[in-house]
Amino acid sequence: MPPEAPRRGDPSRVLLDHAYLLHRRDYRETSLLLELFTLRHGRIGVIAKGARRGRQGFAAVLQPFVPLLVSWSGRGELANLNHAEAAGIGVRLQHTALFCGFYLNELLMRLLPPHDPCPELFGTYRGGLETLAAGEDLETALRSFELSLLEAIGYGLQLRVEAESGEAIRPERLYSYRIDAGPVPAGDEADAVHGMTLLALHDRRFDTSQTRTEAKRLMRRIIAHHLNGRALKSRELFRSSS
Amino acid sequence: MRQAGAIAELIEALRCLPGVGPKTAQRMTLHLLQRDRDAAGRLSEALRQALEKVGLCAQCRTLTEHSLCEYCASPGRDRSLLCIVESPAEVLAISRSTGYKGLFFVLNGRLSPLDGIGPEELGLDVLEQRLKDDGVAELILATNTTVEGEATAHYLSDMARRHGIRTTRIAHGIPFGGELEYVDGATLSHAFDGRKDF
Repeated sequence: MPPEAPRRGDPSRVLLDHAYLLHRRDYRETSLLLELFTLRHGRIGVIAKGARRGRQGFAAVLQPFVPLLVSWSGRGELANLNHAEAAGIGVRLQHTALFCGFYLNELLMRLLPPHDPCPELFGTYRGGLETLAAGEDLETALRSFELSLLEAIGYGLQLRVEAESGEAIRPERLYSYRIDAGPVPAGDEADAVHGMTLLALHDRRFDTSQTRTEAKRLMRRIIAHHLNGRALKSRELFRSSS
Repeated sequence: MRQAGAIAELIEALRCLPGVGPKTAQRMTLHLLQRDRDAAGRLSEALRQALEKVGLCAQCRTLTEHSLCEYCASPGRDRSLLCIVESPAEVLAISRSTGYKGLFFVLNGRLSPLDGIGPEELGLDVLEQRLKDDGVAELILATNTTVEGEATAHYLSDMARRHGIRTTRIAHGIPFGGELEYVDGATLSHAFDGRKDF
């Protein structure tokens, strides 16, 4: 799928990588500061010089949730965006799905370290956006993405066997998930979840409302832990719609 | 050459204006001090006055010298219509070029979670209170057609629905006098999806 390898002798130049825009903000008079999630280079920050002046097609294409092909050059923290074009029709997210889209972007911005290529996560993100756009199963899309993101940054969850004994998870039993170790049989902890929920997370399939609710609660706690207590703004949008 | 003192200070201060870089700021400074000292006096007086007097309208939060802006204070406007815009500039744009006779509410921003702007930062509780009390029959969502503007519109429509208020969204599509061939793809596809009976 990569159309061209980087030009030989110029390793700081990248041609036509697949990307999604996570965030853009105005920079100086006419430029934009962009955060991109790319297929082969992970999350990167680039400057689009003069993007807000003239050349209108350029800025118009730089929107979240639109699949892009981008070329940039430069080393270090901030590269220069040389070119960007749409690589297909962007998904149009509406309403709750749009809030979910912001949530995915915010998670990537906050948890994924820059310059860390994770092509699999890129695929999950793309698939997730398509699921959101189809308005099908928002919760499954969110949970799958959260799990893949945690795996990509090295905090994957242990969902099939118990932490200490290594015994297989039993669907009907209650477990308490220890973030640094894994699931252990629960005593009377308030945040215990059923084995069924852990297995559902493992399979990314949530058939009952109980597993959905428990999975959401568990993932929220784990993500909050990795965010070091800083709240996610995009969650506030859901308050009125749910 | 690096200067110090009042001249340098003025150059630096002028650079806060949009579109003004160091060169332009220097030209402005020299012009004001050398050729037009009267204008400089008027400028500083006008700035001082404006800063002192202009604040936000208590009802719609647009810029005004009084406690209520001219729209909110006018008895002739239709109080059942409320149009939501992102900035005071849009209030001017809409009242200049449409026959809109209702009231406005200025968000002074938009929901943008990645910039840390959520419903609270936008002061949407003020708006919610107004929807509860004020006999609004239609909420017109005139936020921009950016992704953030859309999210804001959806959030507000949920809010209005809870209070049983009808919401409408301004149409977006081909600009007047535009030719399809030159319109960007996203706009065209929006326009196509939003077609009306003719």
